[in-house]
Amino acid sequence: MRFLIAVAALLALLPFGLPPYAMTLLTEALILGLFAMSLDLMVGYARLISFGHAAAYGFGAYASGNFLLHTSMPLPCAVLLAGLLGGLVAIGVGWVCTQATGVSFSMLTLAYAQLLYAVAFKWTPVTGASDGLAGIPRNPGPFGVTWWSTKAGFYYLTLACLLGTFVFCRELVRSPFGAVLRGIRENEAKTIALGYNTRRYKIAIVAISFGFAGLAGALYAPFAGFANTELLFWLLSGQVLIMVIVGGAGTLIGPVLGAVFFLYMQQQLSSYTDSWALFFGVIFVLFVLFMPEGIWGLILSRFGKKAA
Amino acid sequence: MDFLPFLVTQCLNALSQAALLFFLGCGLTLIFGIMRIVNFAHGAFFMLGAYVGYSTVHWTGNFWAALIVAPILVGAFGAAFELGILRQLYGRDGHAFLMVTFGLTLIMGEVIRLIWGVEALQVKPPDSLSDIVFILDEPFPVYRLFLVGAGIVVAVVIWQFLERTRLGLLIRATSQNAEMVHALGTDVRLVRSAVFGIGCGLAGIGGVMAAPLVTASLGMAPNAVIDTFVIVIIGGMGSFLGSLIGAVLVAFVQVFGTYYFPDFALAFMYLIMVTVLVVRPGGLLGKEA
Amino acid sequence: MALLELDDLTKRYGGIVAVDHVTMRIDAGEVRAVIGPNGAGKTSLFHLITGVVKATEGSVRFADQDVSALPAHVRCQRGMSRTFQLTSLFPEMSARDNTRLAAQAREGKRWLPLGGSGVFHGAAQRGDAALERLGLTHVADRPAGLLSHGDQRLLEVAMALAQQPRLLLLDEPTQGLSVEETAQAVEVLASLFASAGLTVLLVEHDMEVVFRLAHKITVLHRGSVIADGDPETVKADESVQNAYLGGFA
Repeated sequence: MRFLIAVAALLALLPFGLPPYAMTLLTEALILGLFAMSLDLMVGYARLISFGHAAAYGFGAYASGNFLLHTSMPLPCAVLLAGLLGGLVAIGVGWVCTQATGVSFSMLTLAYAQLLYAVAFKWTPVTGASDGLAGIPRNPGPFGVTWWSTKAGFYYLTLACLLGTFVFCRELVRSPFGAVLRGIRENEAKTIALGYNTRRYKIAIVAISFGFAGLAGALYAPFAGFANTELLFWLLSGQVLIMVIVGGAGTLIGPVLGAVFFLYMQQQLSSYTDSWALFFGVIFVLFVLFMPEGIWGLILSRFGKKAA
Repeated sequence: MDFLPFLVTQCLNALSQAALLFFLGCGLTLIFGIMRIVNFAHGAFFMLGAYVGYSTVHWTGNFWAALIVAPILVGAFGAAFELGILRQLYGRDGHAFLMVTFGLTLIMGEVIRLIWGVEALQVKPPDSLSDIVFILDEPFPVYRLFLVGAGIVVAVVIWQFLERTRLGLLIRATSQNAEMVHALGTDVRLVRSAVFGIGCGLAGIGGVMAAPLVTASLGMAPNAVIDTFVIVIIGGMGSFLGSLIGAVLVAFVQVFGTYYFPDFALAFMYLIMVTVLVVRPGGLLGKEA
Repeated sequence: MALLELDDLTKRYGGIVAVDHVTMRIDAGEVRAVIGPNGAGKTSLFHLITGVVKATEGSVRFADQDVSALPAHVRCQRGMSRTFQLTSLFPEMSARDNTRLAAQAREGKRWLPLGGSGVFHGAAQRGDAALERLGLTHVADRPAGLLSHGDQRLLEVAMALAQQPRLLLLDEPTQGLSVEETAQAVEVLASLFASAGLTVLLVEHDMEVVFRLAHKITVLHRGSVIADGDPETVKADESVQNAYLGGFA
């Protein structure tokens, strides 16, 4: 807890010392971190591998983009509402996807994402088709409240969303509900035999996870000012999965580090080579092979050894 | 256009599409059936087959050479991948395979982009197959008829292989009963590499055959892998007959759906898959009740 | 009073009859063993009772209610707790967390997504009590996957016990144990059954275990009941001896 407050304070102080371009990068890293953390709920705690998490992200982006473009809803309301909507829709998605287990589950999530991707190209009034939605504003609130429309203000809004999500998720994984998720991860047949309706738990965690991914997407739209089909593309689903595994699945903090690492490497590598994705594929495979516990998992076990 | 000729040509269209899907589906089923590995990179091997096919045709000017070179190269690459990488993972849970082959898909996509570039590449069918025949006065490309024939040949070969050979028996046994995998023991490590290589080689053939129809492009991998999994999930993981049925079903839905409801063809495919999963979670011919 | 009543229970797989018109009643407080040679249908019967598979014919009544149509997890909620023939645990969790998760399944709070570990209090107490009764307190903090095989089997029983079941179903509790481990496990189970007033249905093929633990024995052969009664009667029964000799021949 003390650690958490220290990190939060540090992150809150950063806008005073960083140049603007670094602020932009950091904000994007936090949004991606939130996205990766949401996926960790499924991958790390219930071992439900989603190959279509971009579906939730893109959904959130389009939803908040539409709210901001077509209504005068204040930015934070639009963002929260988009995340909530994403979570509600995901109840249906979860119902369908949990019909299957294992790989079939993963493929169903991918199929859902591809379906949304195809829909986004056709449903021009809502998605702007291949042009996407451009010029998404950061609507002011009542009484002329506009603090979130500045660079630093938007950063704080993002930080608040990330910290809020983290606190919620940490509570969730430590709760009775979270214990059942771990049971499903380790031995689903036994969990059923103990009297749990595991399917309902799985649907619930899909909805929660997709909801937070939607929140991340909903932040991205006003952050970038646009939303396009790239946000629904399967490559993004793959990238966020890489962030989770590289950072450390089942740790909540790890995936955020994974997102920061990902973005930093992307910045560094893309100035030397345009095939940075190749390196990421290799890094990802190496992590799965030799360091399945990820960066944060490794740090934790190091600290654990020192303490012992 | 009269209805009957239209129906016949569309059915032939669908069957040629089914042949391509079957090449993919049976390779995936072969690998899953005997190794219990889910090869997400299957679409990437398919794509590699198309590009290798393009280069072979480019250098030799001979499509038939491509049909031989591509599956061998792709299969050898698959076997090498099994030897070098996948072998490290036996004993870990199934998700490790899924993620490593997913990583391989990303890597192969990038490498192919570096070698062949981002432009879609046209592959010409051999002259003997580039004609058009008239079926009930409707023009129809010979190449698609060739695909239907090739699909039937491969289906028969696989069926005989499963019925007549020891390896085929083993595959049928393991697809019935996952526990049987343990009976494989550790002395059949070569069989694993070979099976993985053959499965990938089948995807490679599919890639070469698809190239004249759809061009070799970077979008092939994700589309192919989704289609493949859809048919295998519909048919039942590990069942060859299931993957054949799934391939035909999906192909017909794709062809007729695209014709009548161009905006919803994709949705139909998923709808069928979801319906099958709701009614029979293990697929039409799958083991799970 | 009968706690569990099976009426004409039948399960067919295609042409094969795994369980053939089995009728049986188990009274509250009784320790019943179902025995029989390999392939006699013991495990199939177990699956039918717990709801893992649905019967082709016949009914299962539990505590005066027909549960034939209910799925496994609901039957468990009604008070049937089971163990598996092959040890089935949560290997990366501690033994304590295993029993806690089991106990929590019977609580209204099992859905609670917030509130941290504090809300586990009741479940944790029942879990710890179950561990103690099976003599596992000293290994409570170790990951379940690292326990000795004998302790893992007992931990499964502890998990079922932590649910405070009305009917405890044990599927070959000494399966895969060495002779010494079996003897130890049987002693622990015997003292548990003697003290707790539990109703137990035990499926087992080890005759010594059965005669040590059970009040009444039902013998299955090729899916049907061929003998039923107290251990002495069953031991003397001729058809039982034939069935067993036939099973080994």
